[in-house]
Order: sequence, then C-alpha cells, then structure tokens
Amino acid sequence: MTADEYLRAVLDSQSLGDDSEEVGALQKHRAEVEKLIRDNFKDTAFTIRYAGSKAKGTMNRESYDLDIISYVSSGDNSAGESLEDIYNNLKKALAKKYTVEPKGSALRLKGCDPENLGVDFHIDVVPGRFTDGTKTDVYLYQSGGDKKRLKTNLDVHLDHVRDSGVIDAIRLAKLWKVRNGLPIRTFVLELAVIKLLADKKKRSLSAQMEHFWTELRDNSASLTVEDPANPSGNDLSKCLDDNLKSQLSSAAKRTLNQIDSSGWEAVFGKTEKQEKAARVEILRRAAAAATPTRPWLPKA
Amino acid sequence: MTWQRADAALYEKEKTEIEAHFPELRFIVENDLVYVRGSFAVMFEGQVLDRYSVELQLARNHPAGLPVVREIGGRIPRHVDRHILSDDGTACVLLPDERWRLWPVGSPLLKYLTGPFHSFFLAQTMVEEGQPWPFGQWAHGAKGIFQSYRELLKTSDLRVITTYLDYLAAKKVKGHWPCPCRNGKKLRDCHFEQIKDLREKISRKDAERSLTTLKVAGTSAIEMTEAKPPASLTRS
Repeated sequence: MTADEYLRAVLDSQSLGDDSEEVGALQKHRAEVEKLIRDNFKDTAFTIRYAGSKAKGTMNRESYDLDIISYVSSGDNSAGESLEDIYNNLKKALAKKYTVEPKGSALRLKGCDPENLGVDFHIDVVPGRFTDGTKTDVYLYQSGGDKKRLKTNLDVHLDHVRDSGVIDAIRLAKLWKVRNGLPIRTFVLELAVIKLLADKKKRSLSAQMEHFWTELRDNSASLTVEDPANPSGNDLSKCLDDNLKSQLSSAAKRTLNQIDSSGWEAVFGKTEKQEKAARVEILRRAAAAATPTRPWLPKA
Repeated sequence: MTWQRADAALYEKEKTEIEAHFPELRFIVENDLVYVRGSFAVMFEGQVLDRYSVELQLARNHPAGLPVVREIGGRIPRHVDRHILSDDGTACVLLPDERWRLWPVGSPLLKYLTGPFHSFFLAQTMVEEGQPWPFGQWAHGAKGIFQSYRELLKTSDLRVITTYLDYLAAKKVKGHWPCPCRNGKKLRDCHFEQIKDLREKISRKDAERSLTTLKVAGTSAIEMTEAKPPASLTRS
C-alpha cells in the first residue's frame, strides 16, 4: 500500500455517510432543535441551516460537530433587541430540552434528561442577525473577548473551504489535531491548511501533508491567517498565538520524524481496512493449515 | 450400560486429554449423557482467533457415534445457510459418510475437536468476516450426499451411486454380483477392492441412511446439483 493509498484508507475509515448512525442521530437532533426554535419564536422567521464540517464536507468520524446557524432577518427584533438578547433568548428556549453551554458565538447542546445527562450531542447552535436584506453577511454575538459583535458570512466560509481543492488534507489535518490534542480552533486550522497548500493543490495527498507539516515545523512563527469573510474586522491573531505556534511546530516535527523512522502508520495508526485485511489473512492461513471439512445439513 | 461406565478408562482418557488441551472445556455428565461444554478457542500458531461457547453431546455409543454439536452462545444465527438447524440449534459439522477421512472410528475425541470441529468454527468466523466457506460446503440433504459420492466415486450417474450405497449397506457382498459401475463385469473382476475398502471406511448405517435419502429424493438430487461432475469412473 502506497502512502497515498494508506491516507485514502484513513479518510475512508473516517467518513460519515448520510446513512451512518452518527449522521442519523445528528439529523434527528437538528429536526428537534429546529422545531424547538420555531415553536418558541412563532413570530420570527429564522433562517436555519447546517454549517461547519457537515456543510463543508470535512467531517471526520473521530471528532465531529454539527453547527446549526439560526439567523434572524435584519431589523427583526422579535427574537430579541440586541445580538446578546437573541443569544440569550435562544439559549433559554433550547434549555427547555437541552443543557446549553455558551461557547464563543455558539451554544453547545448537551443532554439534560436522566438517561443522557451531560452527554455531548456534538451540536452547536449559532445565533445571529443578517446585516441587511441580502441575507449574506451576518452579525454574531461574542460571549467572550473585547468585541461583542463579529461580522461574518457563512457562505464565504463554506465556499472558501469547499473550493479550496485541499479538502482531504483538511480532514487529515483535523484528525492530526485531535490525535495530538492540539488546542487550535478547527476554523483556524482549516485556514492554515488552505493557505499553506495554496500552490500545492496538484501534489499528491502525502506530499501535501508533508509540506504542511514542514511549513509548520520551520515557519510557524510567521504564520498568519485571515477570516475570508471579514479580513480586517475579525482578528484571528489571538487564535494563533506564539504558544500555539510553538505547539504546532513541535507536533509537526514529531510527526515528520515518525514518518521518517516508522512510516505513515505511526501517524494515523492502522486503518479498519488494514485491520480487517490482516484478520482475514490470518484466518486464511489458519484455514490453509486446517482439516478441510465441508459442513452438511441433513435437511434440505 | 452407558459407554462411560462400560469403558471408564476411555472416559477418563478422553476427559484428561480434552481438559488438558482445552482448559476452558469441561466434561459434564447429565442424565447418563456426557457433555463437553465451555469456551472453545479457534487457534492458529498459538494465537486465539476467536471464541465460541459450545456444547458437545457425546453419542450414547461413543466413540462409534458422532457427537451432537451446539453453539450455545447465540453468536451464530440458527439458519440453514450457516449449517445450524433452526429447531434445536444443532451444528452440522460434517457429512457422516465422510467421517472416515476426518475422524475415523477409534480416533480420540481430541482429534475431532482439533480437526473437523475446529474447522467448522474457523469457517463460521470467516463467513462472519464476509469470506466464503473456506473448505466449501455440501448442499443440504440429498443433494449434498449426491455431491459427496459424486466426488468420491467420480461419477454423476445416480444409478451407479445408489448401487454402490446398496453394496456398502449390505451385510455381505459377493464377487459374482454385477459391478456397480455398470460395465457388465462381475464385481470380483472390476471394483471389488474399492468396495471392500469403502465398506471399511463408511459404516453400513451411514450408507443405508444416505441410500434412503437419495431414493426418496430421486433424480431431483441430481437436477438440483449445479456443478459439473467428473466425466468417468476410475478404478481403485
């Protein structure tokens, strides 16, 4: 198996199809969340859509979240006067069925029933208000940080990732982040991958990943990323501070050394496909050494 | 008298051998029947590949009779395609007529467990992994008997096969009888040695049962069999 075949197998094993149990559960929650919001805000025409990795096509089985955006129209105050009011009112509505944890601009949903108390459903609801009638740019409330309002654009984000040409590298980088416990925001990591591989799209996946890690190892100190939806207004430098850059550099160095000394499997481990193939192989060898016995059922 | 009382030495020998080789299997006597129960490890090169909860009910005429095998953990679906009878969960490990090749009468029970029994559960694991039956499988009922004798005798002529079985089931065979291969010769001038050899390998009881099954099924046993048989008989 070549390095690229191996990496494809890793991605295959991390894929979450629409018919998977996990996505089925997320879709069920999404329907519940949407109903909860609409039932509680009958006078508000919320725009409710998938965002995040589900919409970008970068979802990995090992670590996935479902982002559901819930935006009100510009000038619509029925769900709250200010962004903070909308955020808090939505939080209150969602709390009727979930334990809601504030998380930046989002509300993270967890179980609150005795049978699922505290269970993380991997769902973030992101309240906001469109800036104007075009329903493109949006203002989000920021529960932490200096500025309480952040201008952004979901479609610009989605297009930036979906059209990047490096979706597979993004998925592997996300898996690498999880496996190495790196505290980088997924959005920032995606932007970093896209930036560092901007002129490497035609390279093989393994070459892209090696380049990505080499850049992090050697040049992370000068790495900067910009929010494509708001390059000047959304300062992401705090999301990529010196301490994090140093962690990324060390992890990248470790990863490149692992590839050098032990091969790619040392980075992402054996894939399910490889494990299954190895098991079938040993079973076949066992069968070759066994007494050939054909079973027979007396009744037709 | 039960076999275990009639031949206590054999019982002790089988018990000691099995429990030494398979420490998770236990001999249990219930209602005069001997059972071997426990966790059976499918092994290869010292590695446990899989485990099954099993029960072997040794025949009342052990070691002449075949044990009744059951997988009691509920792991294998009770389905004919897995060679498990749906009514009582009996596993159909082998065709009794083939026993001479796999576990000849007089062989220790250990040979059964390390041979056909082990192969049966190894095959179940492979099927569970989406693999085909590693050693193939006989069709169910008469069709499987026909397939087996077709392979053994290298003929697809049902009349030849049933005559062979007739001779295997007979108390005695005479040299002046017509040869079952139907070439017009007397048995003593044709396949007599082969018949004598098979009579030592296949019990009269098994031959009789297979003959009855084939007669009841008639030509449907052949019609239902898809694989092409070898063209001609070979003399032993």
